Amino acid sequence: MSNAISAIEVYNLTKIYRGGIVAVDDISFSVERGEIFGLLGPNGAGKSTTIKVLIGLLRPTQGRLLLKGIDIIKSPREIKQLTGYAAQETAIDDRLTCLENIYLQGRFYHLSRREIVERSRGVLEMFDLYERRGDLADTFSGGMLKRLDIAEALIHRPQILFLDEPTLGLDVQTRKAIWEYIERLREEQGMTIFLTTHYMEEADALCDRVAIIDHGQIKALDRPENLKTQIGGDIIIARFVTPNGQASHALESIKELPQVRRIEPQRDGTYRIVVGQEGDKLIPEIFVLCERDGISIESVSLKKPSLDDVYLHFTGREIREEEGSREDHVKARIMRGRSRRR
Amino acid sequence: MTVLSDTWSVAWRELIKFFRARVRLVVTLIQPVIWLAFMGNMMRGMTNNPMMAQTLGTNNYLAFMTPGIILMTVLFGGVFGGVSIVWDRRIGYLEKLLAAPIGRGAIPFGKMLAVMLQGGIQVVAIIILAALLGVRFATGLPGIFLIIIIAMLFSAILSGISLSLSASIKTMETLMAIVNFLTLPLMFASNALFPIAVMPGWLAAIARINPVTYAVQPIRELVIHSWNWGSILPGLAITAGLAVLSMLLSQAIFQRATTE
Repeated sequence: MSNAISAIEVYNLTKIYRGGIVAVDDISFSVERGEIFGLLGPNGAGKSTTIKVLIGLLRPTQGRLLLKGIDIIKSPREIKQLTGYAAQETAIDDRLTCLENIYLQGRFYHLSRREIVERSRGVLEMFDLYERRGDLADTFSGGMLKRLDIAEALIHRPQILFLDEPTLGLDVQTRKAIWEYIERLREEQGMTIFLTTHYMEEADALCDRVAIIDHGQIKALDRPENLKTQIGGDIIIARFVTPNGQASHALESIKELPQVRRIEPQRDGTYRIVVGQEGDKLIPEIFVLCERDGISIESVSLKKPSLDDVYLHFTGREIREEEGSREDHVKARIMRGRSRRR
Repeated sequence: MTVLSDTWSVAWRELIKFFRARVRLVVTLIQPVIWLAFMGNMMRGMTNNPMMAQTLGTNNYLAFMTPGIILMTVLFGGVFGGVSIVWDRRIGYLEKLLAAPIGRGAIPFGKMLAVMLQGGIQVVAIIILAALLGVRFATGLPGIFLIIIIAMLFSAILSGISLSLSASIKTMETLMAIVNFLTLPLMFASNALFPIAVMPGWLAAIARINPVTYAVQPIRELVIHSWNWGSILPGLAITAGLAVLSMLLSQAIFQRATTE
């Protein structure tokens, strides 16, 4: 295989569930080898569906999907051997020991007994679980279970690892530890990692590129820093002392500065000055202009855009209903239908 | 071949848990003891009546009843076979299985195999106990071997039905309700505990189409009488046929329920 082949190629993927719900609506993207790629979006945006289609758990309604150049529909078994998957819910049998869980996973991926024994040590050591290998999973904390779940996904040495919300509901320490594991996997094994998350700082810290998905469509796709500049760089928030509305003159001059994109008066009396980049260098200039017009500045602060801002910019502020199972959606539809008829 | 080893892996998981859950293990083995010891004792007087002994085909009610207890035990074990699928769906393990490169058939077949083997173990315990209580197995060890096979086939029928139901049932409570609804009528509208000859007409009619009756018949023949193939074969064939049917059905339903 040449290096030119991308790890993941998705062309015009659409997934419509039996109930008629469009979960993913004509998306296309590709992920390069050794890349950590994040799919970001609110609940019910289509993140899990996208992953499940990519690993062969769900059939695409439409679209062409290639992993390492291999067609998902044509060679499902090959695809499964190539990919590792840790679902949003940790799926560990708590009445089996840590080792038994990982042994079974190895068997399901058709590894020999010897291979499993050889590999499980390395994998469990990496996730700091080797000491506890003989213990029932019942005695594990939530963070340990999550680590075991990811460790299991690695036992057959997949080339592409899919992680659905890998740090959901975990404490900060565990979350940071999992980020480190993920980075190590990429560095040491050149693994391609595809993850979904709705934690912005996770995507920001971990991902080379991020796709923001909402209502089943990709709203933006780029490196996190590019996305941040794309929505309009830095923001200076200033409060002027204006005894008789004289600020307008100064604002006019500020607006004419080449770096300034727009000025938005806020309800609390402050002004948001949106600038392209390097807002810190602009602050002295603003001071000079204000001094010239005899206006004093009461307070000034500089805000660098976060991925949160990017996210809200593309997905809006409307709160989404919690993601339920497809069955719940269908049930809800049926109930709605009934009440309408009544 | 991989289907076989995948099936075994799925079954292995269930069996480990079966042996690990000590309380459950003890209860599953004690349950038939209670049935045999109590019911057998209670009904002992029945065979003092020569007419009744004639109807039962033996003057040892325990010998008449042992096949019934064997089937009752595998019946109860079998109908709960689907519970593990409902449970696996809840904890997300089913999705993990489906994401692995194993044959889809391996999932229901593995669960079924585990239930059959558990049933087999229980049957061995019942046979030992019955022998201790004085039941003489007319066909000896080979007969006992065939009894275990028939019981396991019957277990496959029930677990197949249970697995088919659980493929689309999302909650444990619903499955339990359906299972309870099925088991008692299956058991009592059969010749497992009482001969059809003493039943009222309507009940006898139901008993004659009840698969339990067909599985009891050859077992009873093997326990009480002899290698009379004329009496063994029909029941054995029907039980084996239903077992295969149930396997195929559960596989098809499972496949359908997990493809989206």
